[in-house]
Amino acid sequence: MPETTRSTRSRTKAVGFGRLLLRNRLGMIGLGVIAFWTIGSVFIGLFSPYGATETAAGPLLSAPSASHLFGTDNFGRDLLTRVFEGGKISLWTGLIAVAISLAIGVPLGGIAGYAGGWIGSVIMRVMDVLLAFPSLVLAMAVAAALGPGTSSAMIAVGIVGIPEFARITYGQTISLKQREFVEAGRALGLTSTTIVIRHIVPNALAPIVVRSTLGMGYAILTAAALSFIGLGAQPPTAEWGVMISDGRGYIISGEWWLTFFPGLAIATSILGFNLLGDALRDVLDPRLRTTA
Amino acid sequence: MKVTAKYVATAVVAGLLLTGCSANANNSNANDASTGSTTLTAAYSEGGTTLNPTEANDVTSDTFVLAAYDQLVTYATQEVDGKKTANTAEIVPMIAESWEVSDDDTVYTFTLRDDVVFQSGNPLTSADVVGSFDLIAASNSASFLYGMAGINEVTAIDESTVEISLTAPNHLFLQILPMYSFSMIDTALVEENGGAEWLATNTAGSGPFTVDSWDPSTEAVLTRNEDYWGDAPALETVNIKFITEASNRVQLLSKGEVQLALEIPAKDVASLEETEGVVVDSRASNKILYFAMNNNVAPFDNEQVRQAISYAIPYEKLLTDVMQGQASEMKSSVASSTPGFTAEGNDATYDLDKAKELLTEAGYPDGFTFEFTLGSGFQDWSDDAVLIQAELAKIGVTMNITNMARAQFLEAIATNQVQSYISRWTSFVNDPGYHLGLLLTADGTSNYANYNNAEVDALWAEAANEPDQDVRNDLYGQAQAIINEETPWAYLYEYNIVVGLQEGTEGYTSYPDGIVRYSQMSVN
Repeated sequence: MPETTRSTRSRTKAVGFGRLLLRNRLGMIGLGVIAFWTIGSVFIGLFSPYGATETAAGPLLSAPSASHLFGTDNFGRDLLTRVFEGGKISLWTGLIAVAISLAIGVPLGGIAGYAGGWIGSVIMRVMDVLLAFPSLVLAMAVAAALGPGTSSAMIAVGIVGIPEFARITYGQTISLKQREFVEAGRALGLTSTTIVIRHIVPNALAPIVVRSTLGMGYAILTAAALSFIGLGAQPPTAEWGVMISDGRGYIISGEWWLTFFPGLAIATSILGFNLLGDALRDVLDPRLRTTA
Repeated sequence: MKVTAKYVATAVVAGLLLTGCSANANNSNANDASTGSTTLTAAYSEGGTTLNPTEANDVTSDTFVLAAYDQLVTYATQEVDGKKTANTAEIVPMIAESWEVSDDDTVYTFTLRDDVVFQSGNPLTSADVVGSFDLIAASNSASFLYGMAGINEVTAIDESTVEISLTAPNHLFLQILPMYSFSMIDTALVEENGGAEWLATNTAGSGPFTVDSWDPSTEAVLTRNEDYWGDAPALETVNIKFITEASNRVQLLSKGEVQLALEIPAKDVASLEETEGVVVDSRASNKILYFAMNNNVAPFDNEQVRQAISYAIPYEKLLTDVMQGQASEMKSSVASSTPGFTAEGNDATYDLDKAKELLTEAGYPDGFTFEFTLGSGFQDWSDDAVLIQAELAKIGVTMNITNMARAQFLEAIATNQVQSYISRWTSFVNDPGYHLGLLLTADGTSNYANYNNAEVDALWAEAANEPDQDVRNDLYGQAQAIINEETPWAYLYEYNIVVGLQEGTEGYTSYPDGIVRYSQMSVN
């Protein structure tokens, strides 16, 4: 029976994936960086004696030192605490944004692929329209319409990510539609919805999972860009994009740490997600090809 | 095959790297700016909005107007401590070579020069003066000043004589005439081109410069008017570049690529002063920065709440940490350099206990939450907001900051519904009547915080028609005392106007409006 065969196969697959992933060194480095930022951000309250918005926690504009590892800003706020607090917002924004893109993009792509015909055409043409806009410009437009704030940034980045996921799911669905197990399902009298949800989507998951990890990195960058131009987090919230924007004017006067550390945070966290995504792709794709 | 490919690849990469080493084409302007003593390049922060004298209101637009147009009269200049400054108390002839005032102070008769020629070639006559005043009265912006100056009627007596009658004696009249809003316009040329809308992007003046080109997103070029009736400017060309990033302006100035830069951030003054070849002109001015609380929106309709806020502001910190000494204390709604200023009735200091006490008395022992709108573009506004927010948090008051781009910010506050905001103001006419009239009387067009006190309005109206300056100043003093008590605003500070100049750039004269008159400048 199709059910039993699929679940046994998925269990074997999962164990195999895990082992392969652990062996991928770059992927583990990526995972390590992500873990560093996640754990650091979540537990910063325990690690740091300073508050993220505590003005005059130290001397104004002081360079990195023993008591302030990342230095202080023009209000005397400890930069390390602020960078990790900002990590909370960035990671959370990434998660929510990707979740929105997935929740809307995958079903749309699946329906478009499975139904085909004019429904599929209409849906995919709408996705094409969204894709035609430079993503940052589209995010700016959405965030500006919703009003400045972290939640607007999350929604904006989420919307911008929908077409990509729809396209991937669409492509996967089109190819999977032709497979025997779909024909078998139809022969058994399963409804289209059941076929899409129970058989097509699980098999289409691999590229979607890979795209999600890469999407996290991209979401963090776009959210920082929105905050940089003032459409995301508002003062005095610590957020990487806002901190770089505020620190811009201090670069030529020599206070390099104000932009360096948030910039480093963005760069390393995106790198982490990209490395993990690459590793996942290496692990998942070949397996997919060898499965019947 | 493989080896050849490697060599080709190396050659391509090397070639690409070498192209990066060549001189940047964009820097070619640097040489033009420094050669020749007749060209000046300046860095401004905004690109300007219009060339129409009757509608211009921002520094850049006003700069173009003053370069391309003349006025009936103008301010005298003087030297104070070796620095040139405007003497706004003394009005000297410009297009009008002389004038007489009637005994009851309501009729002014101006005799015009007979050698003033517009840049179009048309001679300036009394018809143009009358026509210009008509355009002013019909405009959106300058019409308010027309009313404030008390102008009743403008008539041409003959080709070179104009009579202006006032509704009542008005001490502001002669002070307002030198403003850019009251420029004399070539009305024949405007007629030919279809009316006032044409003035937004074209000039019709008689001034020392022509506006050769203007692109609000990059730069404008002013060229000397060779047929100017007055003293020829030393400068032949003025390039005004619009650089929105403050640190870029500072960079350009310290590298010598511009000879003049406006809107220098306070934190860069110290390093600029130490830079070879750069002079920083920083002078106290009547430009004020205030924290406005909307008197129509709770809880700011409660006077004690507003007073409580005024006791929670860290005044010293704002002056030292944010403005780094490039500002001074603000003690009244009127600037300290304005005649008639008084700090009476203002007891606000940084005292969190007193603030908490007032809040409790007002009925908010646990504090409250309010919305604050922050206009972008000024680093010090943003820094002030964060510091004030931190202090208010200590007395239980939560201030939610929302950033807004400058254009939207200006629109938003003009709806009179914004709960609180920071804004700055310069009274181009350094007079409390002008200042209070626009900002704090019930009908004031810039009274966005809805301050409304009938007694203040009455005092202001009385002073507007009072010819004796001492009596006037006493009335304005009483109005200020009431305002200081009722605290519609918290007073943050009075700015210094900071202008960065290349050594050898001479002639900068400081005016209350902060606008540079390029006809006075020269480059050595």
